[in-house]
Amino acid sequence: MTTAPTSFQSPYDVATPEGAEGWEQMYNWYHQRGEERRAEDEQRFWFHDRLHHPRVLAPYDEIQCECWWQALGAFNTRILPMPPAHGVDQRIINGYVYVSPVPADPAQLQARAEIFQRRAGHYYENWDAIYEEWKVKVMARLDEIRAMDFSPLPDLEDDSVIFDHRGYSTGYKMIQDFQRLVVVMYETYQYHFEMLNLGYAAYLTFFGFCKQAFPNITDQAISRMVGGLHVDLYRPDDELKRLSKEALRLGVDDEVTNAGSAEALFALLGESEAGREWMADWQRTADPWFLFSTDAGHPGGYHDAKPWIEDPDVPLAAIKEYIALLRKGEQIDRPTERVLAERERIAGEYRALMAEEDREAFDEVLKLARTVFVYIEEHNIYIEHWMWATFWRKSRDLAAALHEMGAFDGPRDMFLLRRSEVAEAIYDIVAAWSVGSRPRGADYWRPIIEERRRIYEVLKAWDAPPALGRPPEEVNEPFTVMLWGITTDQVAAWLGGAGEDGRTLQGQAGSPGVVEGPARIVRAVEELDDVQQGEILICPATSPSWSTVFSRVLATVSDVGGVMSHAAIICREYGIPAVVGTGRAVSSITNGQRVRVDGDRGTVTIVD
Amino acid sequence: MSAIVWIGEDAPPEQLGGKGAGLARLAAAGLRVPPAFVVTVDGYREAVDPRLRGELERAAAAISPDAPISDLEHLAAALRERMLEATARHPLREALAAAYARLGETVAVRSSAVGEDAADRSFAGEYDTHLLVRGADEVDARVRECWASLYTARALAYRAGRSGELAMAVCVQQMVDARAAGVFMTLDPANGDRSTIVVESVWGLGEPLVSGTVTPDRFVIDKVTGDIVRRDVVAKPYELARHGSGLGTERREVAAPRRDAPSLRDGELAELARMAKRVEQLAGTAQDGEFAVAAGEPPDNVHLLQCRAETVWSRRERRPLVGQRSALQSVVSTLTKEHR
Repeated sequence: MTTAPTSFQSPYDVATPEGAEGWEQMYNWYHQRGEERRAEDEQRFWFHDRLHHPRVLAPYDEIQCECWWQALGAFNTRILPMPPAHGVDQRIINGYVYVSPVPADPAQLQARAEIFQRRAGHYYENWDAIYEEWKVKVMARLDEIRAMDFSPLPDLEDDSVIFDHRGYSTGYKMIQDFQRLVVVMYETYQYHFEMLNLGYAAYLTFFGFCKQAFPNITDQAISRMVGGLHVDLYRPDDELKRLSKEALRLGVDDEVTNAGSAEALFALLGESEAGREWMADWQRTADPWFLFSTDAGHPGGYHDAKPWIEDPDVPLAAIKEYIALLRKGEQIDRPTERVLAERERIAGEYRALMAEEDREAFDEVLKLARTVFVYIEEHNIYIEHWMWATFWRKSRDLAAALHEMGAFDGPRDMFLLRRSEVAEAIYDIVAAWSVGSRPRGADYWRPIIEERRRIYEVLKAWDAPPALGRPPEEVNEPFTVMLWGITTDQVAAWLGGAGEDGRTLQGQAGSPGVVEGPARIVRAVEELDDVQQGEILICPATSPSWSTVFSRVLATVSDVGGVMSHAAIICREYGIPAVVGTGRAVSSITNGQRVRVDGDRGTVTIVD
Repeated sequence: MSAIVWIGEDAPPEQLGGKGAGLARLAAAGLRVPPAFVVTVDGYREAVDPRLRGELERAAAAISPDAPISDLEHLAAALRERMLEATARHPLREALAAAYARLGETVAVRSSAVGEDAADRSFAGEYDTHLLVRGADEVDARVRECWASLYTARALAYRAGRSGELAMAVCVQQMVDARAAGVFMTLDPANGDRSTIVVESVWGLGEPLVSGTVTPDRFVIDKVTGDIVRRDVVAKPYELARHGSGLGTERREVAAPRRDAPSLRDGELAELARMAKRVEQLAGTAQDGEFAVAAGEPPDNVHLLQCRAETVWSRRERRPLVGQRSALQSVVSTLTKEHR
């Protein structure tokens, strides 16, 4: 027997894949390895952030990880301050994001805890009111970027520039709007972490309390005492259900279910009164509720993920399925009342099993956990869905406008530039437009874009190792465990390879039960249609916009996520097993292979 | 008090012994227990006359607590022999035979000791349990063996130097033809977790499990959610089953795939959990017990055979984890404790 190694490959030993030489130019220098920080980096534990950034980053999309790199860090380190933890550091290696939680100085723990207590106490006491203020702040930012118009610049400015005394050109406005677009996204991320870490700290406290009182209690049982509220995150799915019922009421259900595509459907519905009424309803509903990302995993991470509003065939497929269920007389509404009643029963029974002296403290932490949990579940809809969906739409508008004005050969080329380079490209175009001459534009960028496109394709195929550097003996940093689902066991499994001859994958028990069935790999929303009744869904992660697939599959296996991930929550709701955070199910399992999913122990076994 | 009482009839619990009283509680709560009757403590007193009881007690009391084990064993064997011989024509024989006739063919005869200490040991198999007993004479002989089991060497050692009246009730229970059987506890014996029901089970009869000679399957069930949170299914190469002759038991080999399969199905576990939870609620304290699963479908094939108060964790003083503390204090403590 060989002993498993205690350390992963050094991040500085990770080689550039052949053909991807020069990839470093695609990302900001401060986001990368540097000889001067080698000694320090090699002593740290780095893991591939498959939760937020499972795929290779396009250079422009680096904005996404920079947003949370800075904002999470500032709140933990400088503002709250979180007693044991500083921020989460990042390195981009071969286009993939590796992260490393930074512990606070243990000598500072008590001093930080005292300040934290005063500051966190203020937020916990006023949580609901602060959250209302928060929504106003975030919605104002959403409205600001929603109003931005990145059309190609006009040949001649409109009269209004004169008669409203605007005083500046639309070219200047493009420069300014792009800066604002990016800065507003950074600003929104401040708000994202204004409340999130406090929320997690409170939930984690409740979690720890339950584990201490009942060593065998499952993570699922704990979350069932807290979740289940009628939060906005479920609203998009609820809207689909409502539209399905409306289609039946208006008698356009046949047209809807027979439609080959959303485009064909809308053309057909335009011909009847009832059809127009239903279509108008759809359009009213679509903004904001269909600003709903179909990204697998953490929504909003990539410029190329389309929200429902831009990919109406996805919500349409769900509506068709709901109509079929309604015709069979089935109940499709979320059983909110039942879930809430069950939540009370479960909490009440655990409470009764507890030592009497602990019940008051239990009530306190439960109440706080429930208060913060609404934010934990809901903030996604505001930031990850609405803000990012709008940000990426505007970015694509800008990319198309710049292409049309001669900056690039293709309408998506812009995403192969870093954001500072995009600012340069805009300046070049605007300057030429302003003086009525020719920009350097595509002629300048063409070789750069071509080289990067080639490198990007190579990086896409690179299999990013799950972890690098030196892991701690115990993974006990609360957010690493809660958010990324990385545990001491998981690290040990990575160190030891993928399990016996690679046939068993270890993840976390997300939802209980044991089933066996054929695997269906789904990497992106387009592949959802392939899922057949009775298959086992194997995916990088799930998205709330995938909701209809869960009534079809026997179980779900995801590469990323902990017990609070969407995949785990939704499977518990549907009563099917889930194993989450397996690391590499998607790359280890092939379509049609029989797999056994053990949602009690968190293992996935390839049976044949 | 009558010498024979049916489970389900009104009777003071102290007359039924530990097992008998437990069964009566289960039946009263409407839980599924096999039909059974008890030869009561008064029945014992009637069958074993005061002169004989006095004689046995004096002999038992004479032994020194420090006597060598072999002396204890010899004395115990002699006293049991004396009991069996002297009760050969006891006055309850006809009543016992009549009750047995009402119960049917095959029964289990179990000693149902009086007093808490005795109940502790009975669980560990100290007192006699006879399975698959058939025929009135056999039943009669096994009942007398139960009475005689008051005088085992270990019981003598424990009682040496103490006084007090000894008595033993006996439970005669219709035999469940067990496809699988085992024990449950309404807390986790390993860590005292009271939100847990632990079930251990084997193929066939539960006796080898109770006496600790085999490794059982083990299931952990969340008492509140009903989820089966852990399944440790082991290879079970042997089972204790009815002897081919129909009388007594035999150890039989179990072939694959049954050998490696879970001995309980989810529906059976769910029914067990429901009954265990109910038993605990009725008693107001953690319980453990035995069960058997017959052929057929759950929930109707799941039978409780006996139950009693869990003693180890229930007696331990429960210290509060935190006591009174605000939510904010709890949060700060969570964030600082791992790092102190």
